[in-house]
Amino acid sequence: MTTDVEYVGRLHGLDPERIHWEPRQYGGDGEKSLIALTPNLQSADLSIIASKVRLNARNSVKTWPVDRVLTAIDQTVARLLDRSHPVRKKMEHLLPIVTGYDEEMVRIGLTGYLKTFRKPQLQRFITEDFPNPGILDKFQPLVKGGFGRAFGPDLLAHVWAGNVPGLPLWTLIAGLLVKAASVGKVATAEPFFAGWFHDVLAETDPELAKTIALVWWQGGNTELEAGLFREADVALAYGGDTAIAALAAQAPASTRFLAHGHKISFGLIGREALDPSRASSTARKAAYDVVRYDQQGCYSPHVFFVEKGGAISPETFGTYIAQSLASYEEKFPRRPLSLAEASSLVEWRMAEETRLGGKVVEPCNGNWTVSIQLQDRALRPSGLNRTIRIVAVDDLEETPILSKPYKTLIQTAAISATPERLFNLASMLGEVGVTRVTALGDMTSPEAGWHHDGRFNLLDLVRITEIEARAETAAEDLASYAD
Amino acid sequence: MNFSGKSVLVTGAGRGIGSAIAQAFAREGANVGVNYLTNAETAAATVAACETNGGVALAICSDVTNKDGATNLVSETIEAFGKIDVLVNNAFRPYEFDPERRKLHWDLDWQDYQSQFEGAVQAAHNMVQAAVPNMLTRANGSIINIATDLIARPVVPYHDYATAKAALVGFTRTLAAELGPLGIRVNTVAPGLVYPTKASERVRENIKEDIISATPLRRIAKPEDIAGPVLFLASPWSAFITGQTIYVDGGLVME
Repeated sequence: MTTDVEYVGRLHGLDPERIHWEPRQYGGDGEKSLIALTPNLQSADLSIIASKVRLNARNSVKTWPVDRVLTAIDQTVARLLDRSHPVRKKMEHLLPIVTGYDEEMVRIGLTGYLKTFRKPQLQRFITEDFPNPGILDKFQPLVKGGFGRAFGPDLLAHVWAGNVPGLPLWTLIAGLLVKAASVGKVATAEPFFAGWFHDVLAETDPELAKTIALVWWQGGNTELEAGLFREADVALAYGGDTAIAALAAQAPASTRFLAHGHKISFGLIGREALDPSRASSTARKAAYDVVRYDQQGCYSPHVFFVEKGGAISPETFGTYIAQSLASYEEKFPRRPLSLAEASSLVEWRMAEETRLGGKVVEPCNGNWTVSIQLQDRALRPSGLNRTIRIVAVDDLEETPILSKPYKTLIQTAAISATPERLFNLASMLGEVGVTRVTALGDMTSPEAGWHHDGRFNLLDLVRITEIEARAETAAEDLASYAD
Repeated sequence: MNFSGKSVLVTGAGRGIGSAIAQAFAREGANVGVNYLTNAETAAATVAACETNGGVALAICSDVTNKDGATNLVSETIEAFGKIDVLVNNAFRPYEFDPERRKLHWDLDWQDYQSQFEGAVQAAHNMVQAAVPNMLTRANGSIINIATDLIARPVVPYHDYATAKAALVGFTRTLAAELGPLGIRVNTVAPGLVYPTKASERVRENIKEDIISATPLRRIAKPEDIAGPVLFLASPWSAFITGQTIYVDGGLVME
């Protein structure tokens, strides 16, 4: 038995000796496990931490060109991509223990994810929101006349969820790019990743790392949540609907509260993809989307709508997916489920099986389930953890109507269809709330610079200060060289 | 290997190799469908032997070269045992293995070939079409086709029989490619001369001696010898094997 010990949180401005650290165990008894030391924080501590990182940012990143930030992130990510780097080794070793995900899946997932944060991708990320990135550094001429400059928040608060390893990186990097100081509250389910990123950033650019503080408390502590949001200009929160609503209630009106709540995603498979030469590879890609992080992501599929009339029927396509799930189970076994997860899965399975025109394909160990529905066409959620619904439809063009009732909940749609249909379907799906259309197999790895939930990742964080053209003209009158 | 809870259907299981295979599955706890065509008495004896071995067996009379016959056989098996996990295509058109009285190539009619193709490939085709839908409900199944080592080493050139069995090997491979992505494995077991069976009772001692002396393991196969590899191919021990031909002839053929 090997046990590692890791500190949770990076508490700039506080004396670690003064903090009471409580141990929490991750991983099973007798197997590899990990002890997390979590800080016992008070509301006053949050004020100290917030003031400290705010000050640090004012003295460093706020005065730097954004290119220096890009370079620092790029170098940090390069180290994390290097499998011989001690922190990368730690991630590969400990994240599977913490999350229960298969080691190979974590390793491949980390590389695939981190490489979307190299400099060229970061430049694309910025340009998506700021066609002229110089606006983050200095006043830049605006198309309408006058000048504008984007100012990031003095303090950006983050409340992360622990469903997918590495999730904090998105908003941490967004905060750095707009030169905000950050205080992030890490999730109990996965409280380490953000700290490890912080530590490697401290190697490449120590001053920049001092603008990021990380804190932890047991979710639902309204006093600390309110304390954090009071300090922040902008707050970003991830979580389920109830958690988001509870958090929103703690944010004062002066804090801009941006939430990423629960989402469900789905796939559309056209009859043109259902011929004997394509169906099995199409199914394999679809199964990959199901397997990655056991459907814990907002971009994970719950339903594949499969069109009738192809050479391969929706039913047979479901069997192809079943076999692909079986072979992925060999490669990336599903993480162990909690009792609650397992019992909700059994309930879901029974409901699926008893639906008219429904049948369920699964192995005797129940490690994955394909529910094939020939009559029930609703966009119902899957049972999560490698359970997927195959819904037969006469035409893919019906699916936007079927997903309409879930407008506020849907996010990604993967489409496998001809180019003409791709654009037509995308526009219909966009109308009913889909914010991301991608290819099968890519559902769980959004492109760099994607507009998460259809929003602007960076633009939403900043305020623009404009010098109107008239101010410029008026100043001209006062110039020393004025006639 | 424990096959309890598994449902196995063996065609041509009334006697010989088929019967030995059915009994071996029963010994490992499987429910076994014992298909036969003409001899109810030997089929009943196989069922009795299966049950003595501790399994549950059911004799089902059906002509598997006929599509309806195959469909009925599969439905009766599913009705009795709930599903089909393993299908063994062992039945073949009656053939007399008599080296001295075999037809020379110039004596053969196309009908002789036709008849053997029907007994080997058409029967297997009918059975697979009938049984696969049930296997697909679990995305899992194993199909084993019984051929002969004569396809690789025609010790006696039984043209029509061996050609049809060679076609069955091709059938196995293409089917393995088609059904692999759906979770079903398909393999061939190719026995050497098996004695005693009804088909081989007329083979003379000197031929048997010739075969024995060329066989590294220095004997002729018994029906029970064939059952082991069949059970292996039906089991999770062979979970990553499909489209293969396993020769069970004491090493006479090596590939």
